[in-house]
Amino acid sequence: MIYTQKKPALLIIGLLMLAIWFGVDTGLLNPVLAHLSSGKPYKYLNEISSLPLYFGVVAVVTGCWHWLGPHEEGQLDYYSSTIAGGMLILLITMLIRWFIAPQIEVISVDLGLIGNTGKYIHELLGLNYVVLGIVAGIIIANVFKVPDWARNGVRLSRLGLKTGVILLGALYSAAELKNLGGLSIIMIGFFVLGSVGIVLWIGSRRNISNSMGGVLSAGMGVCGVSATVAVAPVVQAKPVEIAYTIGTILLWGVGCMFAFPIIGHLLDMSYVQFGAWAGTGILNSAQVVGAALAFQPDGIETLMVAEIFNITRVLILPVIVLWLAIWYVKREGTTSSGTTSSGINVGQVIITKFPVFVLGFILMFALSTTGMFAPASHYQGKYFGNTPAQGFKQENLLNAEQTEQLRAEIIVIDENEDRVAVNRLIKNGKIMTIEDDNAIRSIINAGTLSDEATAILSAAHDAVRHTARKIEAFRQWITWLFAFGLVGLGMQITVSSMKQAGGEPAIIGGIVGFIKAALSLIVVILLIGDTV
Amino acid sequence: MLLFRHILLASHGTLGAIAAEDMALQICADNGMIDHLIVVPEFWQGMTGDDWLNNGVTRDQFQSYLQTELGREIDQQCQRLHRKISASACTYSSLIQFGRPDQALLQCTKKQRYDLVVLGSPRPRRMPDLMALRSTMLTKQLVTAMQTAILVAPYPK
Repeated sequence: MIYTQKKPALLIIGLLMLAIWFGVDTGLLNPVLAHLSSGKPYKYLNEISSLPLYFGVVAVVTGCWHWLGPHEEGQLDYYSSTIAGGMLILLITMLIRWFIAPQIEVISVDLGLIGNTGKYIHELLGLNYVVLGIVAGIIIANVFKVPDWARNGVRLSRLGLKTGVILLGALYSAAELKNLGGLSIIMIGFFVLGSVGIVLWIGSRRNISNSMGGVLSAGMGVCGVSATVAVAPVVQAKPVEIAYTIGTILLWGVGCMFAFPIIGHLLDMSYVQFGAWAGTGILNSAQVVGAALAFQPDGIETLMVAEIFNITRVLILPVIVLWLAIWYVKREGTTSSGTTSSGINVGQVIITKFPVFVLGFILMFALSTTGMFAPASHYQGKYFGNTPAQGFKQENLLNAEQTEQLRAEIIVIDENEDRVAVNRLIKNGKIMTIEDDNAIRSIINAGTLSDEATAILSAAHDAVRHTARKIEAFRQWITWLFAFGLVGLGMQITVSSMKQAGGEPAIIGGIVGFIKAALSLIVVILLIGDTV
Repeated sequence: MLLFRHILLASHGTLGAIAAEDMALQICADNGMIDHLIVVPEFWQGMTGDDWLNNGVTRDQFQSYLQTELGREIDQQCQRLHRKISASACTYSSLIQFGRPDQALLQCTKKQRYDLVVLGSPRPRRMPDLMALRSTMLTKQLVTAMQTAILVAPYPK
């Protein structure tokens, strides 16, 4: 079979990208960019003046080849056919990130602050390029249908997310990974095992079949659709049971992706708290990523926390598959292939279900600890420096007005060590130690001070923390890879699949999903601080 | 009673479809033909949803499992209805299609001339039926485009 379709679609995509670059490069788009940034410097100027050129050229060249070249069956044809879909996703991501999301922000700011929340409607509803990208993907897949020439490339979006996770490995410090890993093992262990157990228990009370209970418990407990896909053949789920389970998870997951960031903003959760909550409470792993980026679209701290939880979940998946296989065989006596509980091949289950991309994540983390991506003095991809020799600029010292503002608000800060750090900042005009910087960061994340005071603290933090160039590049790439992946995943969520939600799975899923989200919220707020 | 010689019966074994099967048997002429249409809805194609954590082996395993199970269910339905129809004086043949159920039905009536099309009623709300998926055949588009008489069997009480 020849996969590459002789169509001009990819060429047109390439020309559109080049048109964007040309518009920016020649200044034709300046009025539009000025309108979108409301008078401030347009924050994506670096990206928009380079990315459309690079990718546009690739798309035009490949597009000509697709349209006019001869194609023969084989590996080259298959991989080349994926470029069209990949470029379609990329173009949609570009349009949303650079034009549509900023336009929504402009409209939202024009509408004014919402009540006494101190936030604009786009902030409250998380209407940023990530959420809008997923929504655009869902609309395209369900209203217009993914065109045939783009189908292979749309599947490629999974690769974008996995590559994003692998690169993310370079951004954690050993201490962060240790603390986050420990926290996620406890939280995920408790909530995954708890939800799997509760679903199996409710299932037996409501007399649902063992196969239904098995597939539903994995989906509700571990990582949503991915767990359902992994477990369904093991517990011999019937097609209708698979459809009900996946429909329920998708519906619940998409709902959570919108609801979680709103609740997170209303409760003024910190990045760490929100990342931990989303990573535990949202059923489906794709929506965990979406919610984390929706909560913090212009940074990846929340994503870094949430992704550790996602990785923990997927590492637990082989164990859950094994558990359910043994549970199912014990209940049913045997599987269709004649496997008995003593005959389950533990090694084979672990190897076939092991997420290989996690090894890439670990490798990147290991490489980053050697100082390959940033000098050894860098901590967490950033290094602390408050002397001119270390890159501190004297004009960043706090002025009298700023210190006065902080002095007026210091009383609001609860923690003694945080107050001490702010006092030292007031006294010296700059942050003096890494510990003080961590305390200041925690105050910023908690959002307890006024916007003006928080802005002063953020500026003081930025003045002493310097990001290594390679790490900064990684952050950019990670943001793009996740945005790309999520638009593509949106294109794989069909309303007809979601419509299958119903029956017992919907009732049990609703109960367990709600308990999990509410309990994990309480645990996170009570036990998790603003930093790790 | 008016009897029909060539009937297209849509059934995938739900309660509503079984009522349609019974009605088709009642109104089929002796030695008449009943073509059994069974549609695999197109949403199965996207049933791996937004899974991205699994590796290719697991996804392939799932797809092949799902394909086998869907095939097995269809075989069971065809065999059951074959036995049921063969017990009367009618002849049975099966038509298996993939896609949107209403479109598949329309396509069949375009390829072959039928005296009557028999369908089951959509499942009433809050009526449990563990065989049923949300995939209605009786759409407005079908009713508008259909050139053959349609008989919709009432949902069993």
